[in-house]
Amino acid sequence: MPSEGLNPSDRPRLLRDLVEIGSDVWRSRDLLYQLARRDIRIRYKQAIMGLGWAVLMPLLIVSAGLLIRLAMATASGSTLPKGAIAGIMVKSLPWAFFVGAIGTSVTSLTANMNLVSKVYFPREVLPIGTTLAQSFDSLIGATAVTLILAFLGVQPTLALGWVPILALLLFLLTLATALFLSCANLFFRDVKYIVQVLLMFGIFFTPVLYEPAMLPPTAAKLAMLNPLAPLIEGLRLAVTQGHSLLEPLTQLTKHGVAVVWQPWYLAYSAVWAIAGLVASATLFHRLEFVFAEYV
Amino acid sequence: MADAGVRFENVWKKFHRGEMHDSLRDLVPALARRLTGRSPKPGDLAEGDFWAVSDVSFDVRPGHALGIIGPNGAGKSTILKLVTGILRPTRGSCAVRGRIGALIEVSAGFHPDLTGRENVFLQGAIMGMATADINRKFDAIVEFSGIEEFIDTPVKRYSSGMNARLGFSIAAHLDPEVLIIDEVLAVGDFSFQQRAFDRVRELVSSDIAVIMVSHQLDRIAELCSEALLLGQGRVMRQGSAAECIAAYVLAPAAAPKANGRSDIPVKLHSLSLPDVAARSGDRICFTITGTVAPGGLPSWVEGVVITVRSAQNGRAVFSTSTARVGTQLPEEGSFELTVGLQLNVPAGIYAIEAKVWDRERGDSFPGPASYLQVQAGVDFTGTVQMNPTMSLSRSLPSRPGPTG
Repeated sequence: MPSEGLNPSDRPRLLRDLVEIGSDVWRSRDLLYQLARRDIRIRYKQAIMGLGWAVLMPLLIVSAGLLIRLAMATASGSTLPKGAIAGIMVKSLPWAFFVGAIGTSVTSLTANMNLVSKVYFPREVLPIGTTLAQSFDSLIGATAVTLILAFLGVQPTLALGWVPILALLLFLLTLATALFLSCANLFFRDVKYIVQVLLMFGIFFTPVLYEPAMLPPTAAKLAMLNPLAPLIEGLRLAVTQGHSLLEPLTQLTKHGVAVVWQPWYLAYSAVWAIAGLVASATLFHRLEFVFAEYV
Repeated sequence: MADAGVRFENVWKKFHRGEMHDSLRDLVPALARRLTGRSPKPGDLAEGDFWAVSDVSFDVRPGHALGIIGPNGAGKSTILKLVTGILRPTRGSCAVRGRIGALIEVSAGFHPDLTGRENVFLQGAIMGMATADINRKFDAIVEFSGIEEFIDTPVKRYSSGMNARLGFSIAAHLDPEVLIIDEVLAVGDFSFQQRAFDRVRELVSSDIAVIMVSHQLDRIAELCSEALLLGQGRVMRQGSAAECIAAYVLAPAAAPKANGRSDIPVKLHSLSLPDVAARSGDRICFTITGTVAPGGLPSWVEGVVITVRSAQNGRAVFSTSTARVGTQLPEEGSFELTVGLQLNVPAGIYAIEAKVWDRERGDSFPGPASYLQVQAGVDFTGTVQMNPTMSLSRSLPSRPGPTG
């Protein structure tokens, strides 16, 4: 294979791998585009609901969230707080994206078995392609949510500038997970079943339907350990409360004053996303050449 | 690229028979070794491992075509996968320089729900074409496939022939420096096969490096100058295409299978052709030496049977025997049989086999064999010599012309 620039063997191995992955993926950008397009077309071509697909999942999450929150409010004898609907709505999108992208990319290598065993191309494009296709769905969902939020009277603020940053971090974190799991599922076919179960129950361990401040302080801190939690909570705070994520935020709860946001929460998620992506992309790349023998 | 080409140096590839390990317990140590870059010495075979390719070396330069032939499971496709980079060798080195175009599984990337048009872009991208290139070549691809009217129909409604034609057309419009062909020339109907073959011939003659796997030996003979005969992963023969094809076709005859019989009444030792090259229509002579076992010639011996096979398809084009010609073998002792044949056959590679035939059991004892390369003769082309005669007589015009 031809390689440009410096003699690649002079660089440390990790860097060399990353450069290789980068140039492989860049060279396959047309393939990536075609694969994502294929996934999107298939999803919208035959589905009766068409574009409604992209909205259905967030809609279900929102309904489930409202039901639970209503039940909690009734049990404690209070009423549903005003921002609850908007908050759940905003948070349903990233969760739907994560679940959708992981759900489809786990099997992205095994579902394309005949390609993997017979045609050469950088295999990274398969999980990346499914994640991109899911991003398209989420963009449609985001458009719908934006309209509803405007209807609910949520005012745009400067804090909306955080949305692309959070979206990018979420994308990287999802990609890292997708690369790792698709690779794992190729070697161990039961990984997809484990992932299904984890995704089903994951919603309880991720602050989608609830806010960490509703939990006792220790549990709230533990909830933020989930790398998805700061991204999802950050999105809610930025969009519905116009909170700048560089400032800490405290809130009065039943347990007293609770810290709802710390700027380093974001750094924590960013580290997970970037380090995770480097690690899983490298693992994927190093195992790539035995895929055809195991698939 | 001036130095495009494929170079294999002592390439070995290990495979595992049966199920791959799929428990974490087995994988973790292997993974750890791989990640730390300390793979075990890949030389030894663990239980259940076998060499799918062992010690294969070759070099294909631009303008050259290498044919790879051999029975199923000989390692042909594994070699192609090593060339394309799908697999990496266990030992040895595979160096490929230049853009690879592979005519393998030409419709593997098709999605049944997408239309032909959408699949052209998808499959083209999978084969490594840029979207802009596909855009540019789209009309040519569709025209080549001959399915213009169905290009906006989902591929699931295509017949398998249409599917293969579209796939081949996409692959045929790759612009490779190294071309890999695996058994794709037998797609579509007769006229499409002709068109596909012409296209491949055009690619082969365009100064690129070509590696081709096929069971259609006549295609190999026509396109490739050199060949590699594989058997169970090993190189059985490497050299001119004619030589390898003949060796492949002769292999079953050469295999020592006396069907467990020890009562061999006539042993045939050698079949010697004075020259392996001849022309259509030539008369050739060769000798077969043998010995009749002490104890006499049993009545069930038909005599020496001579079979001429076309190496292109392995089919017998001619067969005769001493009994049919009316030559009697001696009752005992060694003999030398001289055979003359008129080569009323088209150009090609032919295998000549000699056997002893048991007329009662319908069984034969293997004997020596050789091959012959027949070049196109002067007075005919085609598949049979019909000994043409022609005579010309001037006939008077039936009607006088206007001036005469």
